[in-house]
Amino acid sequence: MPERVAIVGVGHSDIRSITPGVSYKELMFEAATRAYEDAGVNPRRDVDSFISVSEDFWEGTSIFDEYVPDQLGGALRPVHTVTGDGIQALGCAAMLIRTGRARIVAVEGHSKHSDMRTPYHIQEFAFDPIFNRPLGAHPHYLAGLEMNRYLFETGTTREQCAMVVRKNRSCAISNPRAVYGARLSVEDVLASPPAFYPLTELDIARPADGCFVMVVAAESVAGDLAGEPVWIAGYGWCTETPSLESREWGEAVYARLAAQQAYRMAGITDPFRDLDFAEVDDSFSYKELQHLEALRVCRPGEAADMLEDGVTGPDGDFPVNVSGGSLGVGHLLEATGLHRVYEVVLQLRGQAGSSQLAGVERGLAQSWRNLPTTTGCVIILEKG
Amino acid sequence: MLERITNPEEVRTWSGAVPIEHVYTVGVAGEVFFRAIKDRGRLVACVCPDCGTDYLPPRLYCERCFAKTADYRDLEARGTVHTFTVAHFDLDGRRLATPELYAFVRINGSGGGIVHRLGEVAASDVYIGMEVEAVFLPPARRTGSILDIAYFKPVV
Repeated sequence: MPERVAIVGVGHSDIRSITPGVSYKELMFEAATRAYEDAGVNPRRDVDSFISVSEDFWEGTSIFDEYVPDQLGGALRPVHTVTGDGIQALGCAAMLIRTGRARIVAVEGHSKHSDMRTPYHIQEFAFDPIFNRPLGAHPHYLAGLEMNRYLFETGTTREQCAMVVRKNRSCAISNPRAVYGARLSVEDVLASPPAFYPLTELDIARPADGCFVMVVAAESVAGDLAGEPVWIAGYGWCTETPSLESREWGEAVYARLAAQQAYRMAGITDPFRDLDFAEVDDSFSYKELQHLEALRVCRPGEAADMLEDGVTGPDGDFPVNVSGGSLGVGHLLEATGLHRVYEVVLQLRGQAGSSQLAGVERGLAQSWRNLPTTTGCVIILEKG
Repeated sequence: MLERITNPEEVRTWSGAVPIEHVYTVGVAGEVFFRAIKDRGRLVACVCPDCGTDYLPPRLYCERCFAKTADYRDLEARGTVHTFTVAHFDLDGRRLATPELYAFVRINGSGGGIVHRLGEVAASDVYIGMEVEAVFLPPARRTGSILDIAYFKPVV
């Protein structure tokens, strides 16, 4: 039986809509300093390996991997970059530890979205250059296409998607990390200017800047560290197809398959019963509902009913995105998954302040690499 | 932990841009597809002999079972609106004076389809399941591109 692995330290920088006062390296330094303090480790002495998640085009620098070691305390040490979501990096950290290559690993993800002058051009550059990019459309049109099909196939309504926005923006008011807390009505969402039918402007998560760092450790050393361990019980990720022409439009297949891997590893057979709460991707309002169905928390088409019945509300039986999610906190590019994990860790440690849920033992974080990808990640975390 | 700038007028930035230019090879299956569009105003599909998955646009290999595909065949550029959207913003994030209609059109007789613009129809009249057909540029103006299709319009 391989060794168990825990998250033993977490830290983040200020999360803001813009961060002109600091460079991306300083954002990372701030988050790393807090995470090492929380874990009680010295990165120059104790951390065996470092993993950063980043995408060159978001950063505006080719081979961005070269620019991450120093501000993490990882100069002259093993460092690698995962061009993907932060949950993939946590999985890589767990594997480094379970194979015996490292005992303590630091994982980092950040967003300096406000440094980008042409973010939608960069996102559109991720589309197929021959079949899709010639249309020259704003990349969010793809979410409009997906949402319309999802509503058609499940009978979910625009009003129910607006309730996701109302719930998450409202939850964000209690979260000191959240940029976009607000009391909104369903009517506010539906009446906001149309964006990409059926999406209105308020159905779309807005970007934020910020950085998250986590310290991951083997069970053999976790007990000697300062941070309260939260155990990684399972993880998985998967990519469906890059081709718009052959993918599913109504169902998040990537999330279903990633969850299957994580559930098998964690011994979960009934997610609704076996998990206490979840932080799932809500970068567009309908995504929270589509993802909950893919995670098999409920059957296809039933996520909206759970929402309406209050089951996924902060006081419900299965709270979802009590942090405020990406709609409430802000979308953090490839750090988004780490943000969701951070919120799950705080809940399991009992450190979530006025957002704290009672009696939670096991939670799930799920991420999606946003448009135009079909890559999703799932991680299951639990108390000692 | 970190000293902070307290005067916003002291904030400095540096601008950078890089020209990025590529050629993108369409490949063996892409060549068949775009020649059919340019020369015949038709779409091409193919099928996986192992699992039966049908591809439009065609691929050289099956993404599900990794087998080489076969049975390339011409199809009429007609299909149904599988899903659609109305885009109100352009690529620079500016609100469009005239919103644009986009759809994924499932091509009749194939397992695939094409993401493209809809034209000659009002947004309020579009519905999932609507039958549409491609409007091609005149043959002399075609270059062997997805934009040789100007848009899809309702079948009257």
